[in-house]
Amino acid sequence: MTRNRRVIVPSLLIALGLFLQSSLSQAVTLEELAQRLDALEAENAVLRQKVARLESGPHVAPAEPVTAVAAAPVLSTASSPASSPAATAGGGEASTYVSSYGEIGYTRPSKRPSVSNVDVQRAVIGLTHRFDENTKMVGEWEWEHAVTSSTDTGESEVEQLYVEHSFRGGWTADAGLYLLPAGLINQHHEPTAYYGVYRPDVDTKIIPSTWREVGLGISRTTDSGLTFEGGLTTAPNLSQWDPTTDEGRLRGPLAAIHGEGQFAAAHDLAGHLSVNWRVPGALVGASVFASKVGQDQPGFLGNDSRLLLWEVHGRYQPGRWDLAAEYARGTLSDTEALNEFYLHGTTPNPTLVPALFYGGYAQAAYRVWSNDYFKITPFARYEILNAAAGYGSLAGAPARTGDEHIWTLGTSLYVGDGVVFKADYRGYRNDRYPSAVPLGYTKGDSLNLGVGYSF
Amino acid sequence: MNTPYAWLWLPVAAFTAPAYATTYLTVEQAQQLMFPGQALTAMPLRLDDAQRLTVERTSGLAVPHLDFALWRVGSGGYFFVDAVLGKHELITYALGVNPDGTIKDVEILDYRESYGGEIRNASWRQQFVHKSVADPLKLDQDIRNISGATLSSRHVTEGVRRLMAIHATLPR
Repeated sequence: MTRNRRVIVPSLLIALGLFLQSSLSQAVTLEELAQRLDALEAENAVLRQKVARLESGPHVAPAEPVTAVAAAPVLSTASSPASSPAATAGGGEASTYVSSYGEIGYTRPSKRPSVSNVDVQRAVIGLTHRFDENTKMVGEWEWEHAVTSSTDTGESEVEQLYVEHSFRGGWTADAGLYLLPAGLINQHHEPTAYYGVYRPDVDTKIIPSTWREVGLGISRTTDSGLTFEGGLTTAPNLSQWDPTTDEGRLRGPLAAIHGEGQFAAAHDLAGHLSVNWRVPGALVGASVFASKVGQDQPGFLGNDSRLLLWEVHGRYQPGRWDLAAEYARGTLSDTEALNEFYLHGTTPNPTLVPALFYGGYAQAAYRVWSNDYFKITPFARYEILNAAAGYGSLAGAPARTGDEHIWTLGTSLYVGDGVVFKADYRGYRNDRYPSAVPLGYTKGDSLNLGVGYSF
Repeated sequence: MNTPYAWLWLPVAAFTAPAYATTYLTVEQAQQLMFPGQALTAMPLRLDDAQRLTVERTSGLAVPHLDFALWRVGSGGYFFVDAVLGKHELITYALGVNPDGTIKDVEILDYRESYGGEIRNASWRQQFVHKSVADPLKLDQDIRNISGATLSSRHVTEGVRRLMAIHATLPR
């Protein structure tokens, strides 16, 4: 009896649904029918072309060198393969895309040229699979410093891994390990997207690019160019802080405690919110990230600590200029008891948890020469940053560390859309932070050369 | 269907069917936006080898396929629908051309990338309006990009340039 009811009830529901659907469709006016016919005709035209194209064999020719009459060199079709008009007939088909980016850098520290080195900074392979028109997954796998083993310094990591679903009305939801909307670099971190062989120090030591957390995010872009992103994610874990190394000071406090989805502590939730306004040639935006970071570890003295990181950024590209600025500021509350414990512990000169860290930069680039294929863009960037700008009301705390001032002067040579050669000189006025030499923390100025690509 | 209440999903499934969330405009909607009240006649276009060469010379871009979705507008003018790659995914867009050969409008029909959807904004598309095949129609020259959507901006701009070169071969 129960079994029969299980069959009968859904059947009735289906019948009801079909009945409602047919009554609704009978209510369609002639005018609407005419419109539908027009729509079908248009769709049919597109489909006819698709058939014609298929019947006449493959037309997607390899990029033929076109003998331009007056124009400069021709862009390869690989950078912009116009697809067949059949694409307009709607999608729904599963498809998979491979992407990749990578960069290799040469660094010569001025004060210690003996540690000059070449490093495959990162090699990234990405995979996007679209299940249907509304749902896809995005994954990125990364190797840093070329070789990863128990005796090597390289890292192998999952940089992004999320599923994305688009809803009607321009809403999008992401679930998984995704990049936080913070600053100019974090979500757009490919070597072709920033100036300099290395990312700005503010975007590595204050905002720990490439910063990702596991969570659920939503976003929406409005017709006026506003993009809102918000979400709930895992939070950094302050109990990972290591007072015996200077990592927290030299790489930055968040780089030392973020979870990156590796058994990430998940007792405390974090929230993030960002807004960006984009119009042609200009972008302004801001974001905030807030969470508890103690993760309720048994006996841990930092369990009440809260992180607040906010930033504002802007970019303006009038004519040949590309101007950008960013300011980020973070606080970690209630760290006095923890720092007190470190100060009176067994570690001489322990690295304390900063109560305040901040940094900002202004950058100007100018396209001095370009044709359809090459572009040369010198740039200058001035950064001020402090990854340990105070220790709150801690008694006996060390004196506040002064700000570091960093100049970067260099140039980028772009080849097509996907390849960039870079050269720059980076100078640290106070030698407080290391230049990006992986062999330990070599402080100070350096000459850097690099090549990178992205597709 | 081992769970006793699995059938509860049936009515839900009925409501989640076809419309694609990545589709912002259908072809018909774009036609009505650009040419309200006008009759549009589909006239699928196939380029011959000579036309292809002319288009490649005019635009400075290769023409990777020869068939184009084209409509003739009743009062004169043309309407194209085409697709280009953004970074990895296809962007379907429409181009309306006035009887005098200037661009009436560009509309983005489908946008699927995770970033860069701002190229749908009127302020970006407005840059094309009134331009003709005689204009450069090049990113960083007469068309400015959207920060974070450089490839999408560039490829739609190139697509429009290619279509305008094709349009130049059509009878007025």
